[in-house]
Amino acid sequence: MQIIVKNISKDFGKKRNAVHAIKDISLKVEHGEFLGIMGPSGAGKTTLLNMISTNERPDHGQIIVDGQDLTQLHDRDQTKYRRNKMGFIYQSFELLDSLNVKENVILPLALNRSNKKLIEERFNYMMNLLNIEKLSKRNIDELSLGQRQIVAAARALINSPEILFADEPTGSLDSKSATILLNYMQLVNQREKTTILMATHDAFTASYCSRVIFVKDGVVFSEVVNPGNRDKFFEQIINMQRTIGGGSYFNVSQNN
Amino acid sequence: MYRKIIKRSLYNMRDSYLIYILACAFAIGIFGILISLGDNPSVRVSLRSWNSFISDITIMMSGLFAFCAFIYMAYVGGFFIKQQRNEFRTFEKLGMQRWVIVAISFIQTTIVQAFAWIIGLSTTLIFQKFMGMALFYLMRLRFNFIMHISWNDVFLLAKMFFFSTLVLSIINAIKTFRILQRKTIKREIKTRWWLRIPAGIFGLLLLFSAQICTVSLFYDMHTVSYSSKPITEIFFVMLADIFGTYLVYFGFLPTILNTLQRIHSVSYSGINMFSFKYLKERLFQNISILWFVTELSALALMLLTFCYFGYQAVHRNYNSAYPFELAADKNTAGVIKQELKKSKAHIKGEYQTNVKINLVSYYKKDNQDYIRQPMTFMSYSDYMSLPKRMRKWNGKINSREFLKIDYNGSIFENRHFKEHDIRVKDSPVIATVKTGSSFPYGSSMHFGPMMVVPDKYYQKMPAEVEDTFYGWDFKRGDRLSTKQLEKLDNFRDAYYMKVNFKKTLDQSNIEVLKKAPDRGGSIYTQAGFLRQGSIKKNFTQGGGFYLFIVSLFSVALLIALGSVLTLRILLRDDYQSRQLRTLQKIGVEESEVKRIVRRENTLTFLIPLIFALAQSIVAIAMSNTGRHISKNIILIYAGYVVLYGIFGLVSYKVSWHGIKHKFSL
Repeated sequence: MQIIVKNISKDFGKKRNAVHAIKDISLKVEHGEFLGIMGPSGAGKTTLLNMISTNERPDHGQIIVDGQDLTQLHDRDQTKYRRNKMGFIYQSFELLDSLNVKENVILPLALNRSNKKLIEERFNYMMNLLNIEKLSKRNIDELSLGQRQIVAAARALINSPEILFADEPTGSLDSKSATILLNYMQLVNQREKTTILMATHDAFTASYCSRVIFVKDGVVFSEVVNPGNRDKFFEQIINMQRTIGGGSYFNVSQNN
Repeated sequence: MYRKIIKRSLYNMRDSYLIYILACAFAIGIFGILISLGDNPSVRVSLRSWNSFISDITIMMSGLFAFCAFIYMAYVGGFFIKQQRNEFRTFEKLGMQRWVIVAISFIQTTIVQAFAWIIGLSTTLIFQKFMGMALFYLMRLRFNFIMHISWNDVFLLAKMFFFSTLVLSIINAIKTFRILQRKTIKREIKTRWWLRIPAGIFGLLLLFSAQICTVSLFYDMHTVSYSSKPITEIFFVMLADIFGTYLVYFGFLPTILNTLQRIHSVSYSGINMFSFKYLKERLFQNISILWFVTELSALALMLLTFCYFGYQAVHRNYNSAYPFELAADKNTAGVIKQELKKSKAHIKGEYQTNVKINLVSYYKKDNQDYIRQPMTFMSYSDYMSLPKRMRKWNGKINSREFLKIDYNGSIFENRHFKEHDIRVKDSPVIATVKTGSSFPYGSSMHFGPMMVVPDKYYQKMPAEVEDTFYGWDFKRGDRLSTKQLEKLDNFRDAYYMKVNFKKTLDQSNIEVLKKAPDRGGSIYTQAGFLRQGSIKKNFTQGGGFYLFIVSLFSVALLIALGSVLTLRILLRDDYQSRQLRTLQKIGVEESEVKRIVRRENTLTFLIPLIFALAQSIVAIAMSNTGRHISKNIILIYAGYVVLYGIFGLVSYKVSWHGIKHKFSL
């Protein structure tokens, strides 16, 4: 197991206004797995992702990655761990407007003070892999939304992270751009053996995963494993979404 | 809902608003103090001799102060409206009517101004006594300063509050309206490197040449009375500094950052890639403000420098003319002593020195003329037995050296050069003398220059006339009545010396006359006595008042400028704050983001500080203090550095606190 999450919980606010975002969640993710986290808005998907990626600390519980308990690390060490082993794709792209495409993509390597040759090599490889060589000198505001998300993916993947976190990566994209991005993510998952954790509320996006867990009101409600057929998997996800949304005709236990 | 919007806006920019409110409150507080000083009863009682002068000056200065403060409030207040432009546009997109948005900005300004006035007026009440005591201390007045604000002042302050708040709110409302009229946000900055690079290099050359010219001015300033070179140099330095600084901000600094960014070995390391671009962007945004602040800071420093040297020079000049409260020669000393006994004056110190008057001839370099005149001689031992303050501003001599004390044309001049070959009647030629301008018994006691000579030389020297000078210092004045002074007026001139110049110095002689001759050759008058106690008191008071006002103005100016820089740092555009957040999200350590904020602060505070200091050195050169920078002026400059250091530190802390707060959202 690459990631083991043990009984984590997280509250926001204080006393009467406290919101229990995550309530005692445990889960395991295998190396090279493409895990989807689904649930309605406010269910706790992003919070769960943020805690596993060390962007937020849980109030209770443990997050063990490759045998190391990340909750015990100092902020500074967590940042280093995040920088070296993790990559991030966000719905809002989180690209730096003042840098051009190339500078945005190579930034994680520059932060690690990698040598210039390696930087150029990795950059060319990523541009080639994601088929965006032509964009390298453009400014961010000259790109379409789909192109921006591909660039964000290139940045997330340039330092060969062991785990890629994607928070609603297709949320701002049209279906064509979303499909292109998801195909790339699947490619990276299969070719580079990168573990991917993706939070989404979109069934189509989730259908690219190998397994999807459903979160509702801060707890893992259920999970669906990809049977190997994407259409069938998509249908299972849709049904599970209906159940979470309040429908009672679908027997959850039958699916497990 | 509108109340909530206003509350939220004020809360979101609370750090920046706090700094703005404090700076405004300081200005309002000082204004209130200046206004109330004019008609304070303790000022009126203690400064009767100034009549309405103090009141007129405080009214004039507070008017000037209010005008400058208003400009500051209007200019800096606009920063907040600019900061909210996205918010205002969103409100409009959501269907809020324009007049409502304009009203929101109007009310916001009114609230902020009201806060500033409340704190400012409280400052007036709290610090009026303290400032009044400081004024009295500087004016050497032993009076108790009574806290007092008249109803007139209260009404005036209330009127000022009402009208200034109204006008400032209208100005901000107009700014909001104009923001709503313009649909797009222009964020693109034209780099125009083809212009920036040569402009930057030219600016740097201008600054360097200005500094070289400043050094040259130190050497040339003393020739200002007969040469146009120093004036040309001053003119050049001023222009080169003003334009050079702008061009360096416009071209040189962005070019340096751009070059660093292009050197991959530097920029591809750590956070540099982002920070160079970020700093460049921030610099582009703030060029005019940085330049404006630099020049005004330099102006404030120059003002302080001129004030310091001006006050020093006038003070020194006055004290060298009247070192004792009362001075007399031997013919008048007896009468004076009798009158002092009658007046029951409390004598603090009494001095007397024998002097000889003889004829001398020498070549005077300054006038390029050969001079023959009588000169007063004093022995080295007698000179050294006088209080230190008498010889403080003269060149230092030992028991074998000669010192010539002469009038000084320029009050700023304090250079001690040497003169040569002074012929003295019936005595050896004096080969070399040091020079000074501070007369031990006051320049007005003399008809010409004076010479301090070694004791042996003095004893052997025959005298044309022998005299004794007397000097008194009192505790609380000489207390001579008008009647006594009328009596003493008859002794104003002690005697007259008619000099009969012949072919040679040895053949020439001095004839002493008790009455002024109707006509004749060269006539010199020896003063019988000098009384300067009351003028000295007025002089000290005037000087103290002048110091109080000027330092208040300069410090207020520096505080206002420092707060402008702080607010420029704090009021980042939304997308700039977002970028720092993004850095943290993608794994940049907190310490690295902190380093960017630190670099930004350093660039914003340190460079204007260095440029302002470099520019203000010209003021020292113009004051021509003999290539010597005094300890006090270093203290003034150090005070400025400390003040800006504090501003820089506060900006850094508040700025980082703000970013961290946004990160934790």
